[in-house]
Amino acid sequence: MPSSQSEPLPMSASQPAVAPAPSAESNPIRDAIAEAINEHKVILFMKGTPEAPACGFSARTVAALQALDAPFAAVDVLPDPRIRQELSAISDWPTIPQLFVDGELLGGCDIVIEMYESGELAQALL
Amino acid sequence: MPSAEDIKQRIEAAIPGARADVEDYTGGGDHFRASVTAPAFDGLSRIQQHRLVYAVFGAEIGGAIHALALKTDTPSKIQTN
Repeated sequence: MPSSQSEPLPMSASQPAVAPAPSAESNPIRDAIAEAINEHKVILFMKGTPEAPACGFSARTVAALQALDAPFAAVDVLPDPRIRQELSAISDWPTIPQLFVDGELLGGCDIVIEMYESGELAQALL
Repeated sequence: MPSAEDIKQRIEAAIPGARADVEDYTGGGDHFRASVTAPAFDGLSRIQQHRLVYAVFGAEIGGAIHALALKTDTPSKIQTN
């Protein structure tokens, strides 16, 4: 049993509660993703790297961009699951890869490949 | 674990007038390829068409359903092909 003369809890009542967890508005990962999308004309969020894709869908998307000699920035979503979570929240798109051009989602693997085959991808990347 | 037939039925039930062909291309019940034709796609961009289909499955995409490769079309486009 603790002594009945124990001191009152420090900071009780007279002080505000401990600072709450960071609020929903403060979201550094989401901010960093949005900034990257805005800063690069062509940016691909993928599993793995262009040199070593970790998924067939990401590999095919990289191959289409490389076939057009299109320069692009790439972000590997695998190191931190929050990247994928926040990215999908921004883009309203559930899967990886995601290709953004001029700040807009162009599509995932299926759309990028379809556009590559039709010649639309080359146009979009101009 | 969903089957290709489950995926087909859910797409066709959720999107009015949709017709879907679905293939489980690894046989593992988690990687599917779907070709979907629906009048509801008319006037939508490909991104919006795919979002309509993904929305049928919500968080299952990337969860129980690892991959759902999509090809979407409108009935009128099919007829002209």
